[in-house]
Amino acid sequence: MGFNRVSIKVKIKKIYSVINSVEVVPYIFVLPFIITFLVFFLYPIISSVIMSFQNIAGFRDVTFVGWKNYRNLLNPHYYSALKVSFLYTFLTIAILIPFPLILAALLNNKLLRGRNIFRSSLFMPALTSVIVAGMFFRFAFGTQPTALFNQIIGFFGLGPITWLQGRSTGMLALVVLCVWRWTGVNIVYFLAGLQGIPQELYESADIDGANSLQKFFNITIPSLKPVIIFVTTISVFGGFSMFAESFAYWTSRSPGDIGLTLVAYIYQTGFNNNNFGFASAIGITLLIIIMMVNVLQLNLFGFFKKD
Amino acid sequence: MKRFFLFAMTFILMFVVMTVGVFPQEKPTTLTFWTFQESHNKFLQDAVTTWNAANPDRQIKLEGTVYPYEDMHNNLLISLQSGKGAPDLADIEISMYANYLKGTTPALVPLNDIIEPIKDKLIMGRFDSYAKDGKYYGIDYHVGATVMYYNTDILDKAGVSIDDIKTIADYVEAGKKVVAKTGIPFTVVEVTEHWTFYQEMIKAGSDIFAKNGDVILDNQTNIDILQALSDWVNKDKIAVACPGGFTHSEEYWAFMNDGGAASLEMPFWYLNRFTDHMPDLKGKITVAPAPSWTEGGARSAGMGGTGTSITVQCKNQELAKDFLAAAKLSREGCIKTYTVLGFDPLRWDVWDAPEITAPNQFTDYFENGTDLFNVLLEVKDEINPTVITDIYPAAINLLKANATFKAVKEQSATPEAVLKQIADELRAMK
Amino acid sequence: MRTKTKDSKTGSYSSFIVFTFICIIFLAPFFFMLVTSFKPGQEMLSKGLTLKINFDAMTLNNYKIIFFEDNRYLTWYKNSLIITALYTVLSLFFSSLVGYGLAVYNFKGKNLLFFIVLLVMMVPLEILLLPLYRLMITLNLMDTYLGVVLPFAVSPFAIFFFRQYIIGLPKELIEAARVDGCGEFRIFFKIIAPLMKPAFGAMTILQAMTSWNAFVWPLVVLRSAKKLTLPIGLMSLLTPYGNSYDMIMPGAVMSVIPIAILFLLNQRAFIEGLTAGGIKQ
Repeated sequence: MGFNRVSIKVKIKKIYSVINSVEVVPYIFVLPFIITFLVFFLYPIISSVIMSFQNIAGFRDVTFVGWKNYRNLLNPHYYSALKVSFLYTFLTIAILIPFPLILAALLNNKLLRGRNIFRSSLFMPALTSVIVAGMFFRFAFGTQPTALFNQIIGFFGLGPITWLQGRSTGMLALVVLCVWRWTGVNIVYFLAGLQGIPQELYESADIDGANSLQKFFNITIPSLKPVIIFVTTISVFGGFSMFAESFAYWTSRSPGDIGLTLVAYIYQTGFNNNNFGFASAIGITLLIIIMMVNVLQLNLFGFFKKD
Repeated sequence: MKRFFLFAMTFILMFVVMTVGVFPQEKPTTLTFWTFQESHNKFLQDAVTTWNAANPDRQIKLEGTVYPYEDMHNNLLISLQSGKGAPDLADIEISMYANYLKGTTPALVPLNDIIEPIKDKLIMGRFDSYAKDGKYYGIDYHVGATVMYYNTDILDKAGVSIDDIKTIADYVEAGKKVVAKTGIPFTVVEVTEHWTFYQEMIKAGSDIFAKNGDVILDNQTNIDILQALSDWVNKDKIAVACPGGFTHSEEYWAFMNDGGAASLEMPFWYLNRFTDHMPDLKGKITVAPAPSWTEGGARSAGMGGTGTSITVQCKNQELAKDFLAAAKLSREGCIKTYTVLGFDPLRWDVWDAPEITAPNQFTDYFENGTDLFNVLLEVKDEINPTVITDIYPAAINLLKANATFKAVKEQSATPEAVLKQIADELRAMK
Repeated sequence: MRTKTKDSKTGSYSSFIVFTFICIIFLAPFFFMLVTSFKPGQEMLSKGLTLKINFDAMTLNNYKIIFFEDNRYLTWYKNSLIITALYTVLSLFFSSLVGYGLAVYNFKGKNLLFFIVLLVMMVPLEILLLPLYRLMITLNLMDTYLGVVLPFAVSPFAIFFFRQYIIGLPKELIEAARVDGCGEFRIFFKIIAPLMKPAFGAMTILQAMTSWNAFVWPLVVLRSAKKLTLPIGLMSLLTPYGNSYDMIMPGAVMSVIPIAILFLLNQRAFIEGLTAGGIKQ
């Protein structure tokens, strides 16, 4: 007995020292990620690719259909979804880079009073869920003349407009919701970048007699390039995967597909129409689109150039 | 101490096992029920009370859950496919029903043995929508015959009489008169749902599908009807695009309640939307047969519906069946579909029952409240049914999102082009 | 030099005015939500959210409904709290472990692994909705809290963040502890983890916020009315088939409050933490 116990102890110690060795221990630390990656990422991606070549009529009723699902993508709904997703991504980036960048540059001025309060106030919308924010805007964009935005345009003698039933006004509503929620977040990113710019750069520019605008374009923007790349990348990602915003306005179906994004189309085909194969094909194309747009964008910024 | 604890635990456990095992009859059987309609849950709960009073040895406890429309249908389909997690009873809306009948053996329980004995008393057309291969899987709450709801306050101001309106042509003329005299739109056209267009289509004897399942949505009748609806709004200006997009939106209810439009064609079950959401119109609304497209043509269409079904995952199928029969097929149950829900009962033999004409919130609310069922009896043989196929859910969804929205509201495409596009898409699915 | 200061001073005055204006616009929705939450829900739905404020017509009735009369709201609240707590704890724990592993050690496949972390960050989970959902059914995790949390508990974003943060810590501490004969896990838990407090603080808020507001995935996983989270529950109130409109706005307001408090109490740690490791690369 006694002998055994000692040997077990020795064994445990030995195992422990192996585990604790610098050769093995790193893998234990990263193990949780490896497992989640394999189970909740790699496996689903692979099964998504497989499903995109299948017709799935039930859990056991599966047939291989070749490229049929991909050929079916050539339909007006898919075009519409592509258009909405591209336009939305483009518009949100076009607004959510320059606008927060300028605000962040102004906020970075140490002489500005109350800058912390401003920063926090602008960040507050990011704390609300898309659904809560979406509800607010949904009712604010109500069709009645008494609804908020109709009251506002009514003030200028316009409207009332059925905001959420028009293509351009519907898109406007989506972009407004996104800008409201994300401006503060991007400001925080840009502020972080701004604080990393060495003060000497500005001082020497002062000596050269540069004005604020010149400094902004010649020092601030080039120095912020990595942050701008980062923010653009996550915006591409966020733009193309947008769905909850559209859901908050129109649930998963919108009149004339005005709110149909690619992810909404996946959800609709998969969960409402129960066509998993086709939905997977949409998903795979979305994945390719996001990858391509991001590579293109990073290329444009010269991210891959080694300097 | 530990031992005592163990002892106590064993004792409690034994007690639990014994009470559950030895006296099972004392506990009511729990049946779970999913629906998307608060009022349906209330209706069945009321039926449970009636049932329990009549069946002391077969007590039921109904656990009803009300989900959002889409979630409920998605979740139910998934639970039925994966073989677990489904409720005992579930409401399935007519436009979704085909999804649940796909495959060789639907995961729903056939209800023929409670339906067939009283076949001659039922409006059987309503059961075909929930049937496959001669087996009936669902029981509706109503017939859903469309009628016209007129705001006589506005009609009187314009000097228009309901009796003069027999055909759609008369209806349009009356509409022009009302608009000219009062400036109030005569009616609304739904642009984000399908009811307005669909019911006119059915009344005119057309449909989305032919009886053999062929897609006929883009036939000339339907194109003409959609063109007519567009003209109502955009040319004749007798109608407006429905505020909020459809007649179940709060915007529309508020608009209508304020005397926003003079008439509305909707199924009989829309009665309770008036009583619940448009209180200011009390005493101003008259229910009448809707106009027909041709002289002597059909004046009504059987619209909408929700079938209550029993899933194969139900462990007490006989009990559930008997309860369902008592709640929705019995004379008393059918009368309650009217008195509680305001629906037109599936059994036509109760349409002239004394309970039907007795005063209630509907007889109080509507100008011709005691005559409501006479209107129904008048059009009883003109209620055109709808054809339902495998791809019906997709068809309805495409109609909702595109037909009137593009042709009437946006005017981004001609009626012909819109209908052809939808029809082609449906044909490609087959 | 003096004129310069004067310049930026006048500049700062004008930007003060600009910011005040912008902040009013950005905070206005909160104000309107709060005001509307005291009005009958029916009114908001039939008239839209309106600028007119009639203080006399306001009532506390809606709040009475969500707290005392309709128990659904508190159920959703409880579910959201449980899921958020579970997700935050799990993701902080696992992600910091992985982040540490990637930051401190040199091992075979490390670069590949780090690349994968970045890759996963770049793929939206929405694409995996269907296969993940089928996986949940197979694993019997449908309609469970764990099913909502588990697939995303090891967050690549948090891993990246922790890695960046740990790289910034002095390596000598680890070396010294090793010399003292400290085991590798001990080093992490006893020496490094306490130093990561600001990073944990920032990630707590960020992860809690993500989870509290999550919508699409919980919508897919959760089934029964008893398990719904706040965003899903609130969304479910917007149906013409029910009549719980009174709960919508107070429900929305109350859902913002805990996360707002968390933020306001920790905003310094939050923003500094976020900017410390977040985007330097």
